[in-house]
Amino acid sequence: MIELILNGLPVKAEEGWTVLETANFYGLEIPTLCHHEGLTEFGGCRLCLVEIGEPPKSNLVTSCTYPAEAGLVVRTDTNRVWAARRMMIELMLSVAPGSKVLQDLASKFGVTKVRFTPRNEECILCGLCVRICAEQMDAKAIGFQQRGHKRKISTPFDMRSEECRLCGACMYVCPVCQLRCQGPNAETALCNGCLTMDPTCLEHYDDLQCWMYDAGRCGTCVREKKS
Amino acid sequence: MKQYRAHLLVCAGTGCVSCGSFKIKETLEKEIKKRKLQDEVQVVATGCNGFCERGPIVLVQPDGIFYQHLKVEDVPRLVEEHLLKGRPVKKLMYVPPAEDKPVPKMKDIEFFKHQRLIVLRNRGRIDPEKIEEYIAFDGYEAMGKALAKMTPETVLAEITASGLRGRGGAGFPTGKKWVACAKEKRTPKYIICNGDEGDPGAFMDRSVLEADPHAIIEGMVIGARAIGAAKGFVYIRHEYPLAIKRVEIALRQAREYGLLGKDILGTGLDFDLEIVQGAGAFVSGEETALIASVEGKIAMPRQRPPYPARKGIWGSPTVINNVETWATVPNIIRRGAAWYAGLGTDTSKGTKIFSLVGKINNTGLVEVPMGISLREIIFGIGGGIPGGRAFKAVQIGGPSGGCIPAKLLDLPVDYESLTAAGAMMGSGGMIVMDDKTCIVDIAKYFLNFLRDESCGKCVSCREGTQRMWEIVSKITDGQATLEDISLLEELAASVKDASLCGLGQTAGNPVLSTLRYFRAEYERHVLDKRCPAMVCKEIVSSPCQYICPIDQEASTYIALIAQKKYEEAFKIIRKDNPLPSVCGRVCSRACESVCRAGEIGEPIAIRALKRYVMDWARAKGLDAPTKFPVTRTDKVAIVGAGPAGLAAGYELIKKGYPVRIFESLPVAGGMLRVTIPDHRLPKDVLQDDLDYLASCGLNIKTNMTLGKDFTLDDLFQQGYKAVFLATGAHKPLEMGVPGEEAEGVLQALEYLKDYHLGSPVSLGARVVVIGGGNSAVDAARVAFRDKRVKQATILYRRTRKEMPAYPEEVEAGLEEGVKIEYLVAPVRVRIRDEKVVGVECIRMKLGEKDSSGRAKPVPIPGSEFQIPADTLILAISERAYTPYLKDSDGLTLSPQWGTIIVDPASMATTRPGVFAGGDVVSGPSSVVEAMAAGKTAALSIECYLEGRPLTRPHGVTRPSLYVEPVKLTEEEAQNAKRAKMPHLPLAKRRSGHEEIETGFTKELALKEARRCLRCELETRDAKKAMGRET
Repeated sequence: MIELILNGLPVKAEEGWTVLETANFYGLEIPTLCHHEGLTEFGGCRLCLVEIGEPPKSNLVTSCTYPAEAGLVVRTDTNRVWAARRMMIELMLSVAPGSKVLQDLASKFGVTKVRFTPRNEECILCGLCVRICAEQMDAKAIGFQQRGHKRKISTPFDMRSEECRLCGACMYVCPVCQLRCQGPNAETALCNGCLTMDPTCLEHYDDLQCWMYDAGRCGTCVREKKS
Repeated sequence: MKQYRAHLLVCAGTGCVSCGSFKIKETLEKEIKKRKLQDEVQVVATGCNGFCERGPIVLVQPDGIFYQHLKVEDVPRLVEEHLLKGRPVKKLMYVPPAEDKPVPKMKDIEFFKHQRLIVLRNRGRIDPEKIEEYIAFDGYEAMGKALAKMTPETVLAEITASGLRGRGGAGFPTGKKWVACAKEKRTPKYIICNGDEGDPGAFMDRSVLEADPHAIIEGMVIGARAIGAAKGFVYIRHEYPLAIKRVEIALRQAREYGLLGKDILGTGLDFDLEIVQGAGAFVSGEETALIASVEGKIAMPRQRPPYPARKGIWGSPTVINNVETWATVPNIIRRGAAWYAGLGTDTSKGTKIFSLVGKINNTGLVEVPMGISLREIIFGIGGGIPGGRAFKAVQIGGPSGGCIPAKLLDLPVDYESLTAAGAMMGSGGMIVMDDKTCIVDIAKYFLNFLRDESCGKCVSCREGTQRMWEIVSKITDGQATLEDISLLEELAASVKDASLCGLGQTAGNPVLSTLRYFRAEYERHVLDKRCPAMVCKEIVSSPCQYICPIDQEASTYIALIAQKKYEEAFKIIRKDNPLPSVCGRVCSRACESVCRAGEIGEPIAIRALKRYVMDWARAKGLDAPTKFPVTRTDKVAIVGAGPAGLAAGYELIKKGYPVRIFESLPVAGGMLRVTIPDHRLPKDVLQDDLDYLASCGLNIKTNMTLGKDFTLDDLFQQGYKAVFLATGAHKPLEMGVPGEEAEGVLQALEYLKDYHLGSPVSLGARVVVIGGGNSAVDAARVAFRDKRVKQATILYRRTRKEMPAYPEEVEAGLEEGVKIEYLVAPVRVRIRDEKVVGVECIRMKLGEKDSSGRAKPVPIPGSEFQIPADTLILAISERAYTPYLKDSDGLTLSPQWGTIIVDPASMATTRPGVFAGGDVVSGPSSVVEAMAAGKTAALSIECYLEGRPLTRPHGVTRPSLYVEPVKLTEEEAQNAKRAKMPHLPLAKRRSGHEEIETGFTKELALKEARRCLRCELETRDAKKAMGRET
């Protein structure tokens, strides 16, 4: 067993576990998007970021790819972590404002405005489709092309692929192109319809922020306080 | 072995090869053969010499003579003179910038003198394609030592003790990395040489691979021995074909010699190397991405841990080091860790290679000990900034690094100091920027690079670099707000924080480091829509219009002249300029100093073109009276009818205000009228501009002196609601030497004033003028036109280059026979019978630069001499003079200069309703600056009278219309030269006061206008307006 410190408490992890698995085992909820239980980890969406090490020399790493190491000090919900997660949600929403998954995340994390010009590309390049196609469907019909801002997912040479069996698994896992947000302001870039609930807790502590030790589950604590 | 008396080392690094060094080598060999010297002289192609800017380079050994910028046609002479006759050719040697004496020997050249070559020790010395030459310079000695005399443990201990840190950028201790990998039990193990050098402005890896490939092989064999690897890869980007070729040759030769392969040197070590070519992605330089690339996958970084030392290529333990690191290893083994650790600083040992590029005299590759200051690198080795421009910043560490400003030039170069300053060592690229570089544009350039080169895996990096680029583009387009800057800052911090690999974690640096040191420049773009370096074309449009203090649309009227639409051109000029005929003759022409045509040749003669249009319009009678109707009731008083007062008055009557100007002299025009002589600005030309203003309804009351005939309070009591003070700088400065109160000593300002107002002034036969500005030259030339004057001499304490007078005026004065003595200062006025008879002077020399950036003149003791003079005219300078102000007036004066203190943005004084501008605020300045102050004050007065805050909106510079460009024939474009202003023949000059410049003819004007580059058509607005939107 590996012993590490999670949000200030000593915990144990099995050999080979990631930080995400360890946190989940102890009932901590860490938001994820490109992570899927049946697929290899990717670490692209950066939502599952956690802070490791002691400030000021601490770093943010993706918990889905980071192995649980002996003596590791992990904090799952610090201000620094939230600031980064919020920015990631805002960036992803700016390219795919129609996604219910992203809209829900925005509401949960109190992202109330998107300050970038929306692009409506309906793909956040999380790679779930690529991985499910290769790893579960054994087809490898689609893959990443190009790099940087030109990166996209497509079939080889952008042509109909012989390998594709039209199974639809890619669309099934996609967090963006299938489900549409049907909230009260669905036509605007940001709905925030789910933000109308009253907060159930108002205190915030940097390490262990919820008295129920259920960090992040209800999401209230990570929202911006309402005036 | 064959002995030669001389070796010609021809640089065959990529830089020199692309300048044609192989051609030089061929010609050298041919010429040597022709002269039958082939048995005495050998030509060798070496690796990169480092002084790339000077290529093609040939070094003659053993003399050490350095020839540079060679052309094929120089070669016969070089061979003939140097090799046959033994006379080195001075003309082909290096001449340091701003000097004229060549430096013959390489070791005496500043660029080479301060370098410490360890990694580059064989550069420009051996033929990289011959293993024998490498071996001759102690090559493979370290490998032999490591394999035969040392154990893996002692090698590891030696590397660890040396303190060597990875030269790829992050600076991880090499020993630590090796030990971690050596500890792993699993085999096989691999080692990799990272030669995927991709950041703009860095080329040290290429140079090492090209100049000394065996050093890397030797280093890697030593590494293999230390960690127990049997296989290694040299990863080289495919853009380096010469490097790949030379490494291939080196590998083949090493195998032939038994230095690579099975049972190396009979020690039982099996190790071989393979070259892997990169496919062009910058991110491949990141170690985990590089490993993926070697494995045949997309170059995408992955999470560490596990580190490559545990899980690298195909999951096996792998050591990956940079080219420079590997090339350092043999040196450490051969000379010992203690020797190496003695170089550099406490935490950064040894030497580092930097590539010096950008705005720097000595572009090239330098190797220096760690801890050297930036100043030594840039100004010592690098030779400073070309063209005498100012150093602004240096970008260190490529796109992931940061900008370091001038105030940190003394920063020692080591890993920790650079990181603390917001940059990083990176691979060692140094991009030097001068004051013509826009820092926001630089950030945009690097962000554009990063958004292309991000692998695209992390949202933070892929989307973050794209969005940062968008925001910075918005700033350079002049479309951003302050919120954009704070969003940019927030985003940059998140990108750094949330990204996986080194690329993303440093992708915020271009923004954060430039914001840290140059936030004001960002804010100028955002708030004022100004780009101080005049780079951002969406803000600047055309530099001539951008820089003009009174917003004249120079490029538009030039374009209209080129289309022969003179009347439209006239309207464009008249629109923004109340004194266009005056400006067409005496303007200080900021526009021409920034004209883009001037960067490649000579600037467009903008002032002369304006004059051409105005002369044309006056001849046609187009400047017809246009009375502006009075639509407002608030009266405005202006004191002073010089350019500032006239410009303010014109703007205000255009807006419908009733305006009266009070002028103390009997004539209007201020300095234009009483100091600028007729041969530069004829009276009737000025009068035409004044008549036009009068016809518009501008009311000027002369012979009314503030403080004598009326007071400030009187004006308000008479119902004036606002007052603009533009009384000028009329108090001449004294020289401060004994005797200047004597008879025959005049002040240039008063002399010219009396002269122009018709008061008689008596001059002696020998006139001496002291000063170097326009008024000194004016006074001398006017005096010389006086029949009684036989000789007019100007004394100036600096040289002609520093003279503030317009160069063409100085030139014309000299033509007419005015003498100028440079580097001379007066010490005492010589007097006989209370009358001046001469001036005692002292010679000066130029010393250090003073706060104004000019070299300070220093007297040479004992060099005193006499100059006889009957009249001495002082033209030192003038200062603002406000005897009319009382304490109760509520204005504030500068205690140092006596100028009125105003808010420069609005020209408002400390008393509400009172504004001031022109020379009384700025001290002596130009006509156009005074007019600009008048225009600004008029805008503020309008705001004030309407009860609005005194702010004015800022927008990007745009012309009011876009004119179709003219097509130049090929021949015309080739021969496009600045048109010369026709002058009055010399014979006619001294006899009268006729205007010297006679103005462009129609042909000259057309030819000149057609030459304009039309910068304003480069904006998106222009392209849209011209129907060329893409």
